[in-house]
Amino acid sequence: MSQNIPMVPDNQLVKGNHDFASLTKLISEIPQERTPLWWYIAFGISNLVLAIMLAMIAWLFWNGIGVWGLQQPVGWGWDITNFVWWVGIGHAGTLISAILFLFRQGWRTAINRFAEAMTVFAVMCAGIFPAIHVGRIWTIYWIFPLPNSMQLWPNFNSPLLWDVFAVFTYLTVSALFWYMGLVPDLATMRDRVKGRVSKMIYGTFAMGWTGSNRNWQHYEKAYMILAGLATPLVLSVHSIVSFDFAVSMIPGWHTTIFPPYFVAGAIFSGFAMVLSLMIISRKLYKLEDIMTLDHIEKMNTIILVTGNMVGFAYAMEFFIAWYSGVEYEKFVFINRAFGPYSWAYWIMITCNVVSPQFFWIKKFRRNIALTFILSIVINIGMWFERFVITVTSLAQDYLPSSWGYFSPTYVDVLTYVGTFGLFFTCFLLFLRFLPMVAISEIKGVLPQADPAYYRAQNGNTKSNK
Amino acid sequence: MGNQPQKTYWRSLNELAQNEEYKKFAEREFPEQATELTDGVSRRNFLQIMGASVALAGLTSCRKPVQKILPYTRQPEHLVPGIPQYYASSIPFRGNLAGVVIQTHEGRPTKIEGNELHPESKGRTNSQQQASILELYDQDRSRNVRNNGSDNSWDNFVAFCNDHFSDTDRTVAFLSEANSSPTLARLRNDALERFPNARWVTFEPFNNESVYSGIESVFGRRLRPLYHFDHTRITLSLDDDFMQESDNNVSYIGDFAESRKMLSPDDEPSRLYVAESNYSLTGSNADHRLRIKSSEIPPFAFALASELSRKINGLDAYSGYTNAFNDHSWIRVLAEELVAHQGNSIVTAGAEHDASVHATVAAINLALGNAGETVEYLEVPHLDATDQNEAFHTLVTDMNAGTIDTIVMIGTNPIFTAPADLNFGEALKNVGTQLHLSHYFDETSKVSTWHVNRAQFLETWGDGYSWSGVRSVIQPVIQPLFGGKNEIEFLNAVIHGTDESAYALVRETWRNVFPDDFESHWNRVLHDGLQTDSRFDVADVYMVDGSAEIITTYLNESTAAFSDGIELVLKPDPKLHDGRFANNGWLQELPDPMSKITWDNVALISPNTAEQIGVPPARKFGETRQQVIRIQTNSGRQTEIAAWVLPGHADRSITLYTGYGRQQVGRVADQTGVNTFPLRTSSNRLVQQNIEVSLAGRTYEIACTQDHHSLEDRPIIREADLQQYRDHPTFAQDEVYIPGTHGGEREHPLSLFSDKELPAHEPQWGMTIDLNSCVGCGVCTIACQAENNIPVIGKREVRRGREMHWIRTDRYFSGNERENPKVMHQPVPCMHCDNAPCEQVCPVAATTQSDDGLNQMAYNRCIGTRYCSNNCPYKVRRFNFFNYSKEYLTSGDDPEIIQMAMNPDVTIRFRGVMEKCTYCVQRISRAKIETKKDTGDSIKPKDGTVKTACQQACPANAIQFGDISDRDSRVSLEKSKDRNYMMLEELNVRPRTSYLAKIRNPNLDI
Amino acid sequence: MSSKDHPYGILAEFDNPADLMDAALSVNKAGYKHFDTYSPFPIHGMDDAMGMKPSGLGWIVLVHGIIGLLGGIALQVWSMDIAYPVHISGKPYLNFPAFVPVAFAIVILLSSFGAFFGMFFLNKLPRLYNPLFNSSRIAKATDDGFFICIEATDPLFTVNKTTDFLREIGATHTETIPN
Repeated sequence: MSQNIPMVPDNQLVKGNHDFASLTKLISEIPQERTPLWWYIAFGISNLVLAIMLAMIAWLFWNGIGVWGLQQPVGWGWDITNFVWWVGIGHAGTLISAILFLFRQGWRTAINRFAEAMTVFAVMCAGIFPAIHVGRIWTIYWIFPLPNSMQLWPNFNSPLLWDVFAVFTYLTVSALFWYMGLVPDLATMRDRVKGRVSKMIYGTFAMGWTGSNRNWQHYEKAYMILAGLATPLVLSVHSIVSFDFAVSMIPGWHTTIFPPYFVAGAIFSGFAMVLSLMIISRKLYKLEDIMTLDHIEKMNTIILVTGNMVGFAYAMEFFIAWYSGVEYEKFVFINRAFGPYSWAYWIMITCNVVSPQFFWIKKFRRNIALTFILSIVINIGMWFERFVITVTSLAQDYLPSSWGYFSPTYVDVLTYVGTFGLFFTCFLLFLRFLPMVAISEIKGVLPQADPAYYRAQNGNTKSNK
Repeated sequence: MGNQPQKTYWRSLNELAQNEEYKKFAEREFPEQATELTDGVSRRNFLQIMGASVALAGLTSCRKPVQKILPYTRQPEHLVPGIPQYYASSIPFRGNLAGVVIQTHEGRPTKIEGNELHPESKGRTNSQQQASILELYDQDRSRNVRNNGSDNSWDNFVAFCNDHFSDTDRTVAFLSEANSSPTLARLRNDALERFPNARWVTFEPFNNESVYSGIESVFGRRLRPLYHFDHTRITLSLDDDFMQESDNNVSYIGDFAESRKMLSPDDEPSRLYVAESNYSLTGSNADHRLRIKSSEIPPFAFALASELSRKINGLDAYSGYTNAFNDHSWIRVLAEELVAHQGNSIVTAGAEHDASVHATVAAINLALGNAGETVEYLEVPHLDATDQNEAFHTLVTDMNAGTIDTIVMIGTNPIFTAPADLNFGEALKNVGTQLHLSHYFDETSKVSTWHVNRAQFLETWGDGYSWSGVRSVIQPVIQPLFGGKNEIEFLNAVIHGTDESAYALVRETWRNVFPDDFESHWNRVLHDGLQTDSRFDVADVYMVDGSAEIITTYLNESTAAFSDGIELVLKPDPKLHDGRFANNGWLQELPDPMSKITWDNVALISPNTAEQIGVPPARKFGETRQQVIRIQTNSGRQTEIAAWVLPGHADRSITLYTGYGRQQVGRVADQTGVNTFPLRTSSNRLVQQNIEVSLAGRTYEIACTQDHHSLEDRPIIREADLQQYRDHPTFAQDEVYIPGTHGGEREHPLSLFSDKELPAHEPQWGMTIDLNSCVGCGVCTIACQAENNIPVIGKREVRRGREMHWIRTDRYFSGNERENPKVMHQPVPCMHCDNAPCEQVCPVAATTQSDDGLNQMAYNRCIGTRYCSNNCPYKVRRFNFFNYSKEYLTSGDDPEIIQMAMNPDVTIRFRGVMEKCTYCVQRISRAKIETKKDTGDSIKPKDGTVKTACQQACPANAIQFGDISDRDSRVSLEKSKDRNYMMLEELNVRPRTSYLAKIRNPNLDI
Repeated sequence: MSSKDHPYGILAEFDNPADLMDAALSVNKAGYKHFDTYSPFPIHGMDDAMGMKPSGLGWIVLVHGIIGLLGGIALQVWSMDIAYPVHISGKPYLNFPAFVPVAFAIVILLSSFGAFFGMFFLNKLPRLYNPLFNSSRIAKATDDGFFICIEATDPLFTVNKTTDFLREIGATHTETIPN
């Protein structure tokens, strides 16, 4: 290696003069200090809400789908809306860890762990709905290609089946990715924690990681490959989810723009969700140095971009509906904006297209309060987007005689609310027991991590005594 | 829209499933009643029943709920388990028999079809006839003889009669529902002989008395008009819903459809004019419809007569008569039309209209030379000599006077249905003894000394005449489930104090019909279900002397000026009639043909009248709650009922249906709708002028199965005027441009995939529905429900939009809602697409296409994602949101009974699975098996051997079904017609069910 | 004491990534083979410094991917066309466009398994016992410590010589790791 590489001063990803040790301390001590009161309160509430969800699902299983507001012609309502919404949110994590990694975006290291965790939990929430929305839950396993006495197999023409494979794969790969990233940090925890038991537990999951360079080599290779695999996956998953609609023949569903449009929407809502969570926890855990304003600004930029992509898709849908000359298509879109569900449509437009426009202005991009509010508004808007697509298209399709108006029951509502219980229960456990920032990765992006750094300041002082 | 004249479409609005807490279906719809009962129908009981029904002999059935499965002790003759047997019988309704064939499985009657040999039925039926099978299995039917409300026995009743009627000087009043049974007539004569002070009154809340009286006043005799709509060119209906309310509606619908058949553009369809207040089923099939108040029908008829009197002879009595209608545009046009079609036109009027109207109608028909041609006047032997409405009136007066000692009520329910002003309830109190025979322990039974539970026509023997006088026997197919007696046995007991079986009594009557070789004739009648060539004599009619005077008095009485007040019109419900079918779940859940409302009756009003009252003239989308209005007649009687805007209804007129709002009759009937009989008086049976209407200030939930009533300009139903059709015979096919289907032989639209080759040894099933024939009566829905074990789900579920009917009849309005919108009916079953969109989206391949082209559901494979239903452009799939069938079949105190109604060839669907029309696959399979057995190799049944339930029931023969791979099959011929089109063909789903466009035949002068 | 006679190796600590990298280079030059460096994060250029071969993980993943692709297609072709063919929406039994998403998902799934488990396999992890952990300082390797460990199995290894060598190249601290 050349002896005098000029050190490239990149803008500080980590604020405050942190060195390796202080970073380790900062992050690895969070799980070690005694549990704060707010955590118990939050966890209690989450558990309660989770219990509500379980009760609702039990009620559903006991009585049948009829406890939801579904009917003819609206066979899918909140169930699929919630599914798509959660899956969408679940896209930010893998996107940040995989795509930003491939693009060598150093800033991702501050939030990727966090976002990946969120992804796994969001996809768990999403997975619930396709499972419980079937009429006969006790036969749900028939959707898997299992050898069975009936010699019957699933129908691989069905987008719903593609969904099963895509979502299942996505959940698995995200989890693997997340866990692999955790291994070195689990080792760090193993070497820090005091208690025997916790040492045992962290040690077990750290799998005897030593930080040996011969391991780092394979590790980095694997990380790169997983990132390479996850990137097409993350793009494909929501495309396949969108096939549920696009492959059908219902006006308003049967649209070729859906895959890119859904993926953009997913990133949009995913980043919003990451922001909401990040803004809270960076305060609670004093991580402002790591999750800096720069991060928030960068993410807001992405939100602005994807938000406009979504807005463009909305406009394009209308254009194509008009341009196609298909009367059913035309009707559906006009009906969306001015029909019985127009209230939902305009909520969607306001939240998803109008609100992100604030982020054209740097001041707003760096305004934490505003970002927090908008991040929530955006996720509300994205829920309504899925509602509008799913319900309004079904409610008024080809034959006017079969038109109907869907309205949810309390079971619909509480089941949806309940999923937040599941999500936050998992997320709080994550915050409590696992390093919420990728320690080894964030160290890797410190200037001190680069050997050139020392030579630049004419270091190498201690090499001869 | 192609060659169609541009129509202005409008929307009237819809239903929103309210967000309420869900309550258990059984609790909601079927409140458990503490009817304690010791009897049930056990299997062992079945075997006896079956043996009985096969041996056609009476047996008393076991009354203990034994739960054993036993083999046949004696194998009944001709019976192969699993193979249904068919028996000819007849259904009595308002004194007329309809010829039917009853399908039984191991002794259980499961389905009723029309009798092909019967000249009126011709194998067709109506909704009530189809649904009467459910009436048999109604758990709420009365199960005991009761004395002053407490259980008693038939033997005691007979003993009582023996003792009570030993004094033959008693003033006995027999109050019977209309009945044409010769046996009953025989007993009636015995009765009147035996009891010198007895009188016989026939009471039907809705009857033809004023028809007979009107005809009597001009022809001198009480004659029954029989219309031949198949021979008419011009039909004028004055507020006469002959497709619905007529006793003969099955053959009338058939004849009407016949007269409008379009095999080619050259055919000449008949033309129908309707003047009416309510938008009736008949009105919806009219080429021209005039909205006038029912109270304006008489002057309209007179004006028409006087107009005609200037052109033809025989109406001199009307000449010179004038009223506000004389210069009405319709009068001129109608007169011209009728005069131009003398001898092949028909004028009819609603049965409940005054005698004056019917006299006029009869005079017109005679003058036009229609009498004997398109209208026959029949001499009906069993018809009462005098007007029974008046007879009933006098009876009640005498009852009040206390001069009646004993009243014997046969089948009727006057407490519920009698005109309110007569206050029959009070009158009945002044009668010493009341005997009442009825199916239910109903309003009248409750206040009677003796109640005898009545046996249904499927349970005991009877006989009678059809409308045109075909003489038939009512042949039972099962032992009385609850040990009931029918009117013959009941009356015999009353008169002779003996317990004679109806079988013996009926045979005795028929011995006089066939003096020699009785048995063979008798068996022939049982086999055919009718006595061949029996028919009422056609009377030779002429204006009798003095008819002119009567007409003059009519004209003088009639009000020449019209009032601006709101009128109230009371009509029998299209489904429940006077309430006798109120406990029938199938009929309750059958959408009203015009309003598509289930489980309720409403006040039908026009948009203009709605505004006048203060009700919104157009409903908000998804709104189920309707404004309730208070209606007060000038005699001070009032009621509150939900208002329903029915476009095309006459302004300043309100139509109410009767038959709802019954109390403690049955778990289905109770608390559904409002009882409107209290508004009906003997003087104003049909119309009441100048009523007061106000908002009640509350709302009421209505379960309507169709939210949206406009076609939105979509080419779903294709129709043209006769001239447009002649100019452009393929208008229906050209209405939508479809790539790939143009030029020469029409092919399918372009497709990515090469067509699937289905095996040649299989038949390829297909269906056509001729919208030109279909009148929209909805019997297909009931027939399907009966055939395919479709559960009744109740008002709330229907309101939530979860109705389960496999074939529905869509009804659309087009034109100006304020004026006189046209109506189109379209039955929609599963289309059985070749490229079915439902199939590809099912993750578990639960719905696939069979080798003979059926889109089939594997219930056992379905996991219930509802994706198929979402992706069905026709929305014909039905989902079991709850365990409907279980609730339907296991609720109540002894569910075994309703379970007997199920068709064993059709799977009962459980919770969480999708279901839909199967093209009656069970019938297809049976036919294929038979064919295979006969031919040895072929599985292609002969054309016409497979009939779907809807096709078989349809009175208009609008539905054809068969093998479309056979070029000569009826269905192929239909499909080859130029009017044939596929709904949403542009989607390239390739439906097997196609439609034939509707042709209207308007008079261009209007 | 056996540990003295048969140590696992010698662990030397260095100040920072740069020193560690130079040291690794020298150790490599000196001809040691059985040695490894330990750092809290991967240091770029260290692989060359230690003269390591590129990782073979890619091949493992490739094999898994191919298995996934073939398996995915085979599963669908077999179940849709051979095992239980049914008419679905008038489409051919072998409706390949519809098979793409599932095949793709299976490829990704198996490849990821390959990458994940392959990595642990190549790293011989998890292992139940690692003598390194006998060291008191190695824990710093997951914090801010930078170490080289030359293992006793190396032919050039002798406790004293190696220790001295490591001190020469700038180790701030050395210790003998017992076995």
